[in-house]
Amino acid sequence: MTALLEARGVVKRFGGLTAVDQVDISVGKGEMVGLIGPNGSGKTTLFDCLSRVSSIDEGSISFNGVDITGRRPHQVARLGMARTFQLIRVYRDLTVSENMELSIQWGRLRPSQLFARTDPGTRRKVDSLLEFLLLSRLRHERAGALSGGQRRLLEIGMALMSEPRLVLLDEATSGVNPTLVADIADRLREVNRNQGVAFLLVEHNVQFVADLCERVVVLNQGAKLAEGTPRQIMNNPAVIEAYFGAEGEVEK
Amino acid sequence: MNEDAYPGMVGPADGHRRLRLAGRAALWVGLVFLVLLPLLPSVTNATLFTLTLMLTSVGVAVNWNLTGGFTGYVDFGHAVWFGLGAYTTAILMSLQTNGLHIGWPPFPAIGLGALVAGLLAAAIGRVTMRLKGPYFSIAMLGTFVAMREIVRVSSITGGGVGLTLPPYLNRPLFYYIQLALVVALVTFTWWLRRTRFGAGLAAIREDEIGAEMRGIDTTHFKVSVFSFAGFSTGLFGGLWAFQNTFVDPDIAFVEVRTIDAVMSTMLGGLGTVAGPVVGAVVLYWLREVLWANLLDYHLLSQGALLIVIVLFIPRGLVGLVDRRGTSVTALWERWLGRGAKPAEQKDKP
Repeated sequence: MTALLEARGVVKRFGGLTAVDQVDISVGKGEMVGLIGPNGSGKTTLFDCLSRVSSIDEGSISFNGVDITGRRPHQVARLGMARTFQLIRVYRDLTVSENMELSIQWGRLRPSQLFARTDPGTRRKVDSLLEFLLLSRLRHERAGALSGGQRRLLEIGMALMSEPRLVLLDEATSGVNPTLVADIADRLREVNRNQGVAFLLVEHNVQFVADLCERVVVLNQGAKLAEGTPRQIMNNPAVIEAYFGAEGEVEK
Repeated sequence: MNEDAYPGMVGPADGHRRLRLAGRAALWVGLVFLVLLPLLPSVTNATLFTLTLMLTSVGVAVNWNLTGGFTGYVDFGHAVWFGLGAYTTAILMSLQTNGLHIGWPPFPAIGLGALVAGLLAAAIGRVTMRLKGPYFSIAMLGTFVAMREIVRVSSITGGGVGLTLPPYLNRPLFYYIQLALVVALVTFTWWLRRTRFGAGLAAIREDEIGAEMRGIDTTHFKVSVFSFAGFSTGLFGGLWAFQNTFVDPDIAFVEVRTIDAVMSTMLGGLGTVAGPVVGAVVLYWLREVLWANLLDYHLLSQGALLIVIVLFIPRGLVGLVDRRGTSVTALWERWLGRGAKPAEQKDKP
């Protein structure tokens, strides 16, 4: 499978603490990859590095064949990478529709479009995505007034608005009720199957990852601990020890 | 008001529409009144001068709102662009060689003054707008103080003594120019807010990292709007210098001009189009009244006003009639017993 995202030897330090230590990770076109690990293992920091929200101290990152190591986040977004955040980042004072309209592919706009109002095509796309994400009737609500789960869905919708090649999802199911988790999984699967969008998921919900992903990467204390299919990972003694301690067991 | 969002709230939606119509009518009546004002026999040059100064306050507040309100970058040194525009105009208009006056004509000088302010805003903004929150505010305050001291010690600026401009006292002309500029500026901000660029500024204000991650070149957006605000405030500074016929560091670079812009915008409504206009007009006349009646306490009263605004009407006077806020119309309709409560959301997934 051709690598869409490829990171080699990524190191990120905060003073004396090495938060990400020589991590190699790749995501192929149309692939769904899970990234798991105990709290503080460096998953979100790695996401920040990959999306260029944080700079890296060593290593290289390429996306869609372009070296993005020194690029700014908006440049990476314009190449087709979108992401969501562990602490949800929606524009709280704007409506659901406005949030979506602001998540277009800005790189494709001509100056005349930049100084124009939102076009009917974008509005139709917003409507169709909101319908897909079961948020249609909330489109005029302020994003800050939505529940946590609805905001998660909105953030996913915002990521999909830009027609990305890859979406980095940071704990998409955190604080979401089980029914909605199943809905989110269905939607992601559908987008992946129909549009070929690749996903890299940071999750604590291991079952969610196992259901969706073909490949899982495990981080522990900033370094890559294991990589393999969900079954291989769930049976890996080193992973079990990292998650549950030496005597732990994983329910199969 | 969106009826889809609140299907049961029929009364306030009607009320809001009526209020909007009334607002538009008041706007046109006000504009016609302001255009005809100099023709009234009772209006003196002194009145026109006062109104021109009020329009200057409106213009500076509208410009401050572009960065402080639309983009969320609270600039404590905005008056620096006013001073730069004023001084560049003054230097160009008062040029002399061997006692011979070779000064520029006023309008090219004012134009170049605005351009200098805009270009310096672009250069300084590129550096200071990397800072966030209070760090940006303090950096701009520092820029303002530093620039005033540079002007105070430079020979080209006349040092602490200042510069005198050739007098050209045509109050009605100044008034009409200023009025036209303010109308153009407010129309521009109204248009800008409705464009994708304006929406991008709102995104930066709401969450800059999120905006950047969603493909908005935040540096380009911020610096562009900051430069425009600098250019436009420089334009008002140049016009002010021309009318005042004299500039020195303590009247061209005065902190109160920034404080007034902040207070006006907060009083009227931060991040709204009408807010700084309403706020600047109310604040200007309130100050005149306080000055005339409570001379000893007028500064104290202004401070108290700012506290009251922040505590009780954080969204400003315009926010009181906004569809998303505590709507005056909704309260009115409720008092009349005609408004219904918003319908409950039934489809939370």
